[in-house]
Amino acid sequence: MSDKSTGLNKAREIYLDSSRRARELRAAGKKIIGYPCAYVPLEILTALGLVPYQTCADMKEPVTEADRALPHSFCPVMRNCLDRALKGKNDFLDGMVTTHSCDPQEKTARIWESYTHYPYFHFIDMPITIRPEALEYFKGQLNDFRKTLEAFTGQKLSADKLKTAIKSHNQQRALVRELYELTKPSPPRLSGTEILRVVKALTSLPVVEGNDLLTETISEVKKRSAGPEQKPARLLIWSSTLNDTDIMQVFEAKANVVMNESCGGVRPFRGQVKLTADPLEGLADYYLNEITCARTFRQATLGETRKDYARDLQSRFGYLKGTIKDWKINGAILLLVRYCDPFAFEMPSLQDYLKGIGIPNSYIEYDYTIGALAPMRTRVEAFVETISR
Amino acid sequence: MYFAGIDIGSTMTKVVLTDQAGKLLSFIKGPTGAEHRQLANEVMRQALGQASLKIDDISYIVATGYGRLNVPFADRQITELSCHARGVSSLFPNARTVIDIGGQDAKCMRIENGRLVSFVMNNKCAAGTGRFLEVTAATLAIRLENMGYISLKATRKVSISNMCTIFAQQEVVALLSRGEKLENILAGLHEALASRVATLARRLGVEPDLVLTGGVAKNIGMVKAMGEILGCEILVPEEPLLTGALGAAILARETHMKAAAVGEGLSTKSRRLEKATFFSQEQ
Repeated sequence: MSDKSTGLNKAREIYLDSSRRARELRAAGKKIIGYPCAYVPLEILTALGLVPYQTCADMKEPVTEADRALPHSFCPVMRNCLDRALKGKNDFLDGMVTTHSCDPQEKTARIWESYTHYPYFHFIDMPITIRPEALEYFKGQLNDFRKTLEAFTGQKLSADKLKTAIKSHNQQRALVRELYELTKPSPPRLSGTEILRVVKALTSLPVVEGNDLLTETISEVKKRSAGPEQKPARLLIWSSTLNDTDIMQVFEAKANVVMNESCGGVRPFRGQVKLTADPLEGLADYYLNEITCARTFRQATLGETRKDYARDLQSRFGYLKGTIKDWKINGAILLLVRYCDPFAFEMPSLQDYLKGIGIPNSYIEYDYTIGALAPMRTRVEAFVETISR
Repeated sequence: MYFAGIDIGSTMTKVVLTDQAGKLLSFIKGPTGAEHRQLANEVMRQALGQASLKIDDISYIVATGYGRLNVPFADRQITELSCHARGVSSLFPNARTVIDIGGQDAKCMRIENGRLVSFVMNNKCAAGTGRFLEVTAATLAIRLENMGYISLKATRKVSISNMCTIFAQQEVVALLSRGEKLENILAGLHEALASRVATLARRLGVEPDLVLTGGVAKNIGMVKAMGEILGCEILVPEEPLLTGALGAAILARETHMKAAAVGEGLSTKSRRLEKATFFSQEQ
């Protein structure tokens, strides 16, 4: 192995101890704000000198404390996330921001607030459709978010500061896409597991440090001679969130994962925030319209009475077509975390869409525990056997 | 030239040996137990003994089933889904759908041209698997292998409302204490299990010929219930537990023949029948 100073090794270390940098920064006087989901506009936090830190769930951690507050038949990711907070694992946070990206987040908002006692807590209400009125409403919500943060930090958020932050985060998005360019060759230049560690590391670093890590990793991977070995299938994983290497390795034992279409992969980084005169406008547009999460209801057209299913599918999943072609993907795994209704309801249509463009897929449901990995392995391997003859 | 398939399932371990032409030479079925890593070599030794062969005589070995990664002498691992599909289509060339109900999972497979093309499996839960029947048999203090026959005597089917293995046991106990006849309860249980598996199969689409395999296929009450619910004839192999191991042996032979045809050497594992150590086969 190469020395520890390389981007990939740094990413691995941060992946294994993701809160270390946040703790250091806090000791140096920075304020750390937690967020559970890709819908929180990090640009606003960054612009006010706050450090965003994604509070992730950990599959290996059995949920115990959260059972005081939440029922069993509830999103295991949110349960696990809250559980870690209640166990004091996020005790370095100065605040927490959640959004109404899905019901489990909305339902837990007050629980976070009353059980964790961070100095700052905020809930952003998010419309579920992309209609123009929804965008207006969401912009108002971001404005409220700004005001509470201004009160919390005692600073004014100027348009210039926000634009600078948007540029940094846009640069991060561009760099992540550049990283994914490296999985286009066959065999890919870096594995799905390696990318996953880098992306997870980004969610626990200030944006500028994350961008340095990306730049370093990209140049390292471009230079190295040995990458992952070629496997009999090139897979796309479609999921709500996939940010654990143990799951990724179940896929990568028999296939190359060249695209992680989830919040632990490319989803939060696909587009760019437009630099509008009022920067909140560009942010509202990006977070509501551009992130392709199943939680948003997308319609091909507004106000039409005749519905065309093919066009509807195109408007909901069309973004996958180019990726599948350019990355020469020959199979998709649709990975569902149990009780995740928004993603569960999206599956049949997505399967129709993939069938329409000739991509075999396998739908796998799991309960976000490591016990689920052995049966998952059998399903993944059998799927790869059916597509790689 | 000989070939072997070894299928380590959650409940039973199965070995099939074939000759160069793919003809069945011997087979062994034995309980997997808690220490299947320690057992693969033993069942293989027995199968070899039956066929008067030595391990060195075996040209290629495929392991399948949940324990497939823990067979140190296997040359290749293939999932039980591909193996069942291959094994069944060798016995029933017209088979298009296979339903396998084993000890800890139920799976439905579609076959085209003798190969697996798609599948669905139950989720991590004992409902809809052989374990459901095992636990019920224990609760009722009857032998698992008698359950099906007893159910055939039913005069009516009791409706079992809860498919959770634990809750269903409570329901059975309540029915017994109400004085319901054993055969009627069993008929209801078989119907409940069959309808659960049928729902799984319908997600995939059921097309005849339909073959039922796995330990549960030995239960005549289940075969009857599946036929009634799916409305088609249910074919059952003579040895429904063996189709995975048989498919593995056939795929072992095919892998070997394919490589030989193009003059390609196949790497094989050491032919010592050693016990597997923990996780020795990972990666």
